[in-house]
Amino acid sequence: MYNSNKMKFWRNFNFVLLVVGSLFMIAPLFWMVSIALKSMEEIYRGEFTFIPEDIQFSNFIDIFQAAPFVTYFINTSVITVLVVLANVFVNAFIAYGFAKISFKGRDKLFILVLSTMMLPGFITMIPQYVIFAKLGLVNTYYPLVLPSFFGSAFNIFLLRQFFKSVPNSMIEAARMEGANHFHIFFKIALPMIKPALFTVAIFSFNGVWNDFLGPLLYLNDESLYTLQLGLQVFKEQSSTQWNYLMAGSLLVLLPVILLFFFFQKYFIQGSNILGQTEEK
Amino acid sequence: MYKKKETLYGYLFILPWIIGFLGLTLGPLLFSLFGSFTNYNVTSQMDFIGLQNYKELFMYDDLFWTSLYNTMYFVIFSVPLTTIMAILISTLMNQNIRGMRVFRTIYYLPAILSGVGVYLLWMQLLDPSTGLINQFLGLFGIDGPNWLFDPEWSKPSLIIMKLWSAGGSMLLYLAAMQGVSKALYEAAIMDGASRAQMFFRITLPMVSPIIFFDIVTSTIGSFQIFQEAYVMSSNNAGAPENSLLFYNLYMWINAFNLFDMGYAMAMSWILFVIVLILTVINFKFARRWVHYEGE
Amino acid sequence: MKKYLLLIIMSVVLLSACGGFQIGGGSEDSGSTESDSASDDTADSGSESSGNGEKITLDFWTFWGSEQRRPIVDQIIEDFNNSQDEIEVQHTYVPWGDIWTKNLAAIAAGDPPDVIINDINTVKLRAQEGQMEPLTEFVDEEVQGRFYDQMAEATMVDDEMYALPFNTDTQILFYNKDLFEEAGLDPEDPPSTWAEMEEYADALDVQEGDSYETIGFYPLIGPGSDLWMLNALGENFIDEEGNVSIDTEPVHDTFNWILEQKNKYGGNTITSINSQFENAQQDPFMAGNIGMMVQNANYYVQLRDFGQDLNFGVAPMPEKEEGNGHTSWGGGFVAEVPKGAKDPEASYQFIEFLTNHDTQLYWAENNFDLVANQEAAMAAAESEEFSAAGQEVYSLMVENMDDTLLTPQPVIAPDYSSTITPTFESIVSENTSVEAGLEKAQSDLERIVENNR
Repeated sequence: MYNSNKMKFWRNFNFVLLVVGSLFMIAPLFWMVSIALKSMEEIYRGEFTFIPEDIQFSNFIDIFQAAPFVTYFINTSVITVLVVLANVFVNAFIAYGFAKISFKGRDKLFILVLSTMMLPGFITMIPQYVIFAKLGLVNTYYPLVLPSFFGSAFNIFLLRQFFKSVPNSMIEAARMEGANHFHIFFKIALPMIKPALFTVAIFSFNGVWNDFLGPLLYLNDESLYTLQLGLQVFKEQSSTQWNYLMAGSLLVLLPVILLFFFFQKYFIQGSNILGQTEEK
Repeated sequence: MYKKKETLYGYLFILPWIIGFLGLTLGPLLFSLFGSFTNYNVTSQMDFIGLQNYKELFMYDDLFWTSLYNTMYFVIFSVPLTTIMAILISTLMNQNIRGMRVFRTIYYLPAILSGVGVYLLWMQLLDPSTGLINQFLGLFGIDGPNWLFDPEWSKPSLIIMKLWSAGGSMLLYLAAMQGVSKALYEAAIMDGASRAQMFFRITLPMVSPIIFFDIVTSTIGSFQIFQEAYVMSSNNAGAPENSLLFYNLYMWINAFNLFDMGYAMAMSWILFVIVLILTVINFKFARRWVHYEGE
Repeated sequence: MKKYLLLIIMSVVLLSACGGFQIGGGSEDSGSTESDSASDDTADSGSESSGNGEKITLDFWTFWGSEQRRPIVDQIIEDFNNSQDEIEVQHTYVPWGDIWTKNLAAIAAGDPPDVIINDINTVKLRAQEGQMEPLTEFVDEEVQGRFYDQMAEATMVDDEMYALPFNTDTQILFYNKDLFEEAGLDPEDPPSTWAEMEEYADALDVQEGDSYETIGFYPLIGPGSDLWMLNALGENFIDEEGNVSIDTEPVHDTFNWILEQKNKYGGNTITSINSQFENAQQDPFMAGNIGMMVQNANYYVQLRDFGQDLNFGVAPMPEKEEGNGHTSWGGGFVAEVPKGAKDPEASYQFIEFLTNHDTQLYWAENNFDLVANQEAAMAAAESEEFSAAGQEVYSLMVENMDDTLLTPQPVIAPDYSSTITPTFESIVSENTSVEAGLEKAQSDLERIVENNR
């Protein structure tokens, strides 16, 4: 048993550690905010100031003049929602197969799955583009959305690891009772790895939301562009409008930050190692 | 030994992947393998030249070895360090302290702040004179290094940046730690186990499937480090003194600046073999230390 | 499960509002609404985009998407579309740099844009790789003679012309007139040789203890060592036949000169200033910490817009010694037709329009950009649109073109840069001696040329 003094020490120690760490983690964000609020004149003058001399909140409004960011926001949302949904369900489905059903050739196939991560994307990028072009799907969202319906190695592997902690005995018992694998998958296994599903959702959301190369390659029509492509208008060959770029980046980041902040309660409850009371 | 019905189910479950693999992945994969034996330049030529690309790489191309060395250096330091960092952060995050949701969001921030903008930001943080990092070191009287402008420090700079964003895999570990039964800890406390003992005897084994996942995927990912180096080396080509010329960056230069796609494809398959071997070794070793609760 | 259903319904609703899933459909419709909203007189373009199925539609890809540039490009396109009734050009903005990756993929798939803006120094290489449609059959003498010779030359492979030059730039000397006066130098008499540069720099330096408050001049703030090699040699260190002139006296002198300045200031001072430029945010010249520096002449625009009335002057690059020549370096962009474009002749018509006198003058006046059309450039130098300072800089740019070399990526050794640039870096950081380094660079480059033969 721990005595309460020792507990208190650890709790305080942890807290201080967390705060100090937070400062490191958040410093770049402050830096971004600082630049986003500066004028270009001040940025070029190059004095080291965290708080701008002349705060330009208008930067956050001015950026909407440069590109139709509202349209880009809708476009990006459509792609993201579809990809996230597909990623979560399809990958879970496939991963269950690899984790909980034993069949011939499974382990070799699994190495094959992983091996698709090992060739750099830009080597297969052009032939893949050619395939979508031949299918007449360039300049649509299909090339960005469709692949997620066939699973991705990273997510399959991740969910496989989680499914493996679902007790075999449970599955066998259900099989004995005549349940088929679909039933077991939906009713037993899937609910047990909920935290992992949210993890995949968050990861894919982050990935698709920030994807640059895919939309760049496959979209030709500016009315179909995404946020990441839109942000590029602030960068030209010789000069960058840093304040606008940072202001725009912050607005693009905001939904991801909010999503994480509010969704974490669904998958992280915080365990009880330290014997503290549950958070309400 | 395999039941027929189970095999049928198995293939049914992985069917989406098989369709995707055959339809979208296999073609480009084989194409690049074939391309590595040609002088393919993307637009006009693709003549079979046998092993010439491979011979050139192994025997005459110093930059190939430079880029391989740089990449190995990065993998060897960044994979273990970021894994340890991620586990430490997650352990801290897996508590019920007031405001934990805010802390978690803050620690996860670096993973959200991805892409080119962040690399540009880090270039400023690492600026030898005006950067935040050297200003901070200056407070303690330390004369900070020239980071990205010093060939000795440029790779460590990138590793530090990676460490900063280790909070990304915190999500994985937290999700895994949710699955650890509280009864285990309670029993351990009854037995008078220390915190360290509980961490090493309970937490680590229980999340070992995720540690394994993290190591395998970050090894594969680190071998492919590209965008960081592309953006953060001042000439977009590995400066200073080729210290940031990573494998994929050199491959990119060959493919898209010199249009020597066949050569780049040969490079990609050499990397493929290296990473595949490492992954298989990883899997073999995994049997000794990865503990699957369900099996 | 209800939540997911809701999400799915939501996304279906969103889908119906957006064209991303209409195969082959969306493009034309949204393209015309795009140009409607972009152009000022909607009535005009409205009547145009309706009911003319006969017209050829050309896709024009540029990386000019900023608030400043986009309206100018769109105006030029509108003028072209109004000037004839067979071709309709549509502008698509694709991000800088990545635009060429996208182009390459599109060429490979056989569905490239009809016209694209691309880098001039890689034209020869890309033409040889078969990425562009040759234009020679369309180019007449008047068109060929429009451009600065070195630019026209950079688009030629074996007497075949593959692109029309669009704009260029050149490196000139910028100096801070206020600092000149403080140092007792005549602000109207900038230095013109390397020796004078040193002299002036010494006068401009302001030292405070160990560190420098003002740096008079350091050659590698802004440009790389290759610019100074070019300046000393009067030509590129590798010519089209693959002759290499790195291990030569002028280049030895160049590096010794650079190192001399570096040691005066100390490596740390230099790294600190240089990194600020590399990181591209702070600008030590604007902040008044640098007396003189060589920069792309376009830098004037940044000084004009953000320099807060910095009192600066411009001059040609200095020469190594009197009579050696003020050789400078330039880059630029061309308009070209990617391989496999559906109608190269129609594309050419538009490219020709892009480079004619009026379009180029319009571009020059609105962007303060040195254009490839010589007469338009000369007319721009006297343009009423510019301030007195603007006219002065633009005139200098035009004059400077006489001394400006382009350095097309040598087809015989396109891959030289990653091999020899690190050697130059290592000489400057004094990890390698000048002698050993240049000898190595020379032999490395010769070996590459030999291999590629």
